[in-house]
Amino acid sequence: MNNILTVFKKEFYRVMSDKRLIFTAIFLPGLAIYLMYSFMGNAIGNQVDEVESHTIILYTENMPDTLRDQIVGDDQRDVEFHDFDDMPYDDIKAGILEGDIDVLIRFPENFETTISQYDQPGYVVPEVMTSYNPGERYSNSAYYYLLSHLNAYGFDISYDRLGEDMFAFHTDLTNPDHIIMDEQRASGQSFAMLLPMLIVMFLFSGAMTIGPDSIAGEKERGTIATLLVTPIKRGELAVGKVMSLSIIALMSATSSFIGIFLSLPMLMQGEELDANIYGVGEYLSIFGVLLATVLVIVGLVSAISAYAKSIKEASMMILPLYFLSVIVGVSSMFSGEAATNPLMYLVPIYSSVNMLIGIMTFEIVPLHFLLMVISSVVYVAILIFIINKLFQSEKVMFSK
Amino acid sequence: MNTLEVRNLTKRFKLSKKQQRLEKTDATVKVACNDVSFTAYPGEIFGLLGPNGAGKTTCLRTISTLIKPDEGDVIVGGSSVVTADEEVRGKIGFLTSELKLEDHFTPNYLFRYFSRLHGIAEDAIEDRKMELFKRFGIDEFMEVKVGELSSGMKQKTSIAISLVHDPDFIIFDEPTNGLDVLTARSVTDYLIELKNQGKTVILSTHILSVVEKLCDRVGIIINGKMKRCDTLANVRKEQQSADLEELFFQLVEEENLLGGDLA
Repeated sequence: MNNILTVFKKEFYRVMSDKRLIFTAIFLPGLAIYLMYSFMGNAIGNQVDEVESHTIILYTENMPDTLRDQIVGDDQRDVEFHDFDDMPYDDIKAGILEGDIDVLIRFPENFETTISQYDQPGYVVPEVMTSYNPGERYSNSAYYYLLSHLNAYGFDISYDRLGEDMFAFHTDLTNPDHIIMDEQRASGQSFAMLLPMLIVMFLFSGAMTIGPDSIAGEKERGTIATLLVTPIKRGELAVGKVMSLSIIALMSATSSFIGIFLSLPMLMQGEELDANIYGVGEYLSIFGVLLATVLVIVGLVSAISAYAKSIKEASMMILPLYFLSVIVGVSSMFSGEAATNPLMYLVPIYSSVNMLIGIMTFEIVPLHFLLMVISSVVYVAILIFIINKLFQSEKVMFSK
Repeated sequence: MNTLEVRNLTKRFKLSKKQQRLEKTDATVKVACNDVSFTAYPGEIFGLLGPNGAGKTTCLRTISTLIKPDEGDVIVGGSSVVTADEEVRGKIGFLTSELKLEDHFTPNYLFRYFSRLHGIAEDAIEDRKMELFKRFGIDEFMEVKVGELSSGMKQKTSIAISLVHDPDFIIFDEPTNGLDVLTARSVTDYLIELKNQGKTVILSTHILSVVEKLCDRVGIIINGKMKRCDTLANVRKEQQSADLEELFFQLVEEENLLGGDLA
């Protein structure tokens, strides 16, 4: 036990006494995530604001005054009206294509008179023609804004003609219970959609930053042999290294976790997100999952690093596992709900992702939690056994 | 019981295709140590000599438990490298140019770290550290990171760290390699001191002047086989050569005429 602590302290000190390593391995992930997500959130928000504050350039032909007044009266968007006759039709089309003009709405001549004769024999429903550019964001947004006015105008005409008869039925006109939602759970689902994937990614990248250097690096530099001629048991060396790497990877993941929680509301600006929805129990459970997961990830990274001849080789060999874990994390984005089959909680990483979803959506199943933690401990024990064997293998330790 | 006995030690390595090309052979196995036997006694320096690739380092790595023998055994102060490797590691101080120290740490930190791994009591570490650091002139640099030390100072630090536990058996592989004259002298002087303290010292070197100055007995390994093992005077007498270098060449040529040991 003393030797494990000695190795642990030394490995921990190696990182903690190096300011650059502390910054890059621990603080940078959280800071980078916070800055990146805040920037992305602001950029998305600014883009929406910019589109909505854009003055719509609208060309019209024979537009009824009622509709025009309706649009002018709506102060949601500024609209600049132009007459169809001001410019040749081809130029207007070119203007829409170039993004200089947003929308063209053409009504037939004497539109209001025509529609007023709807009950006359031989009446033909008039056609309103619109043109816009869906590939251009100002035009696209302007079109849907104007379409809503056009639909409202059409609705008013139909109502004038038919009154209440135009409705076959009403939907939720007076129903106060139309939306029945647990706001806490809805927020939780938003967190559960993104966080498990990000957490697994950051746990892996934290372990990848320091793991290969701590083990494969020692082999590459020849310093591992200096350790192997001391009376320390290979198993103690493995446990000491895995322990310290786990703590450092956990610190790195915690920093990322804080960064995500602080920046997520800014990233998902449209949604009401508040990390305060979680209580101490949820946070402790999340921490438990993080700890169990980080042990498995560090065990994997350490076993690969012990087998690899160099840092470069170790990093190359870890990369496919990293991608695999990202794929497992991404799967959580689409399911939105934790797996219900208890056997799934025996699959490393996948169990962690599902457990995190369960916690974040307030659906913790104690059996699942237990299975995930116990299986993780078993996997770590197996990985430490493998690392121990690798440290004993002269072929692995001294091959060049 | 402070003898170190190498008994019929044999170690084979599989050759990769690349190694076969480098060795210019079709053989798939190289016998690095072939039935090597010798005994080193307390209060003597036993020199292990041989050209590059002769099997000296393999022999020393087996003694230090870094690799296991395929056949035979090494008994270090009564403990077998095959059945009690951890015990053996507690009795030996092993140094080779391939053993490196981590650049990020200071000699002070590393000395304390390795002392703890050897189970030395905290209060004894400081005394032992100052004794060795002063002996090698490291005390002034003990808070400087290893990466910033000169190669001579790094080697002295390595020696001090390999001896933290005051071992009875000292195995040094080319300890003066790449050192300047003054540093090399301080290392060889210290080996004599260790011998005078009754330690069993095994020294591998290809610097023949070092052998002549230090070694009480020598073992000459060529192509993995122990060709001679005796006092330097007796080997000279047997080969009828006063010049150690000449003697060495005679044995290499003799072995080359017999052929190598690639299986």
